Amino acid sequence: MKINVKVGNNEDTVTVSEDKTIKDLLESMEIAVETVVVKKNDYIVIDEELIEDGDSIEIIQVIYGG
Amino acid sequence: MNVCDKCGSPEIIIKKKQSGQKLCSKCFIESTKNKVLKDIRKQNLIEKGDKVLLGLSGGKDSVMLLDILSTLKNRGIIDIVAVTIDEGIEGYREEGVELAIKNAEKYGVEHKVVSFKQYFGTTLDKIIQNNSEDARRNACTYCGVFRRWIFNRVSREVGATKIATGHNLDDETQSIVMSYLEGNIQNLTRIGPKSQSKSDKFTVKIKPLREIPEREIGLYVIAKELDVHFAGCPYAGESFRAEIGTFLKQLTNDHPTIMYSTLRGFDRIKPVLKKEFGKESVFDECEICGEPSASKLCKACSFLKQWEDPG
Repeated sequence: MKINVKVGNNEDTVTVSEDKTIKDLLESMEIAVETVVVKKNDYIVIDEELIEDGDSIEIIQVIYGG
Repeated sequence: MNVCDKCGSPEIIIKKKQSGQKLCSKCFIESTKNKVLKDIRKQNLIEKGDKVLLGLSGGKDSVMLLDILSTLKNRGIIDIVAVTIDEGIEGYREEGVELAIKNAEKYGVEHKVVSFKQYFGTTLDKIIQNNSEDARRNACTYCGVFRRWIFNRVSREVGATKIATGHNLDDETQSIVMSYLEGNIQNLTRIGPKSQSKSDKFTVKIKPLREIPEREIGLYVIAKELDVHFAGCPYAGESFRAEIGTFLKQLTNDHPTIMYSTLRGFDRIKPVLKKEFGKESVFDECEICGEPSASKLCKACSFLKQWEDPG
């Protein structure tokens, strides 16, 4: 499946296998789940949400050090 | 089926790990706001007629605080003056100040932007540059002391009766754990939702967001589409607090209620700690600046003096 992933100002087309959740995607990108809010096709979703072909995923970092 | 526990909407934005509760955007925003207002009432943080000085950095915590306290302002219960402190951290603070100004305008509150330069003649960047290796590691300590000095000064200038900051659950539990691990019992007697004013030169400080997890604050501002500065202070990464913060967040993954239990347990023992270890500080005035101080020089002036004559 091909999806669009946006983190900050970086946008990339990524290939993922079927039956992957947002949580799986974050883990594969080594992004700590508890520090981000994720939008799928402009809707905020929880980490259990399944990723579908053609999805546009935006990962927003809400927690930093400062 | 994942639907909102309150209204049944299938568009849930959170499934709280600590309770399993599922909420849609509208219900999450409303229930979070109600929780904060309830905490304010329960802990007597605010009285009718209070003039609240709100620390507005432009970050998610302070903007959410402004959003919620505005409800009280609009009901005529309090007046709000926002203050933004520019510590002089290049590449970081500028955007926060801009967003703070934007938000103060949006919520219609009086706003003061003040700086380290103005009150201390220097910036945090310069302090770190000009001093030893230690300075960088202790950046947060210096910054915190200077910011609190400014809050107290500005609070008196505007006649505020309370100072409100956006400290959240993660911040509070970090403070508790840090202080305990460092054996700093004095600090433990001072942590809490409402400070006590031992001198009338000190304004009571309140933390209305104290029981809200940091991530839920991030979720609130995004769900409500608030304009917020998401970025980390360049000096914060190497701090002890950052280590403890990472540790607690990792623990929370497998133990979702751990921060709540830490806070609750602490709140129960605090009165005992205070009774046994709380020092009744006699407040006099700092020789240099006149601010309340437990010794000849207040902490801020003692730091400035230390850097002036390194000998």
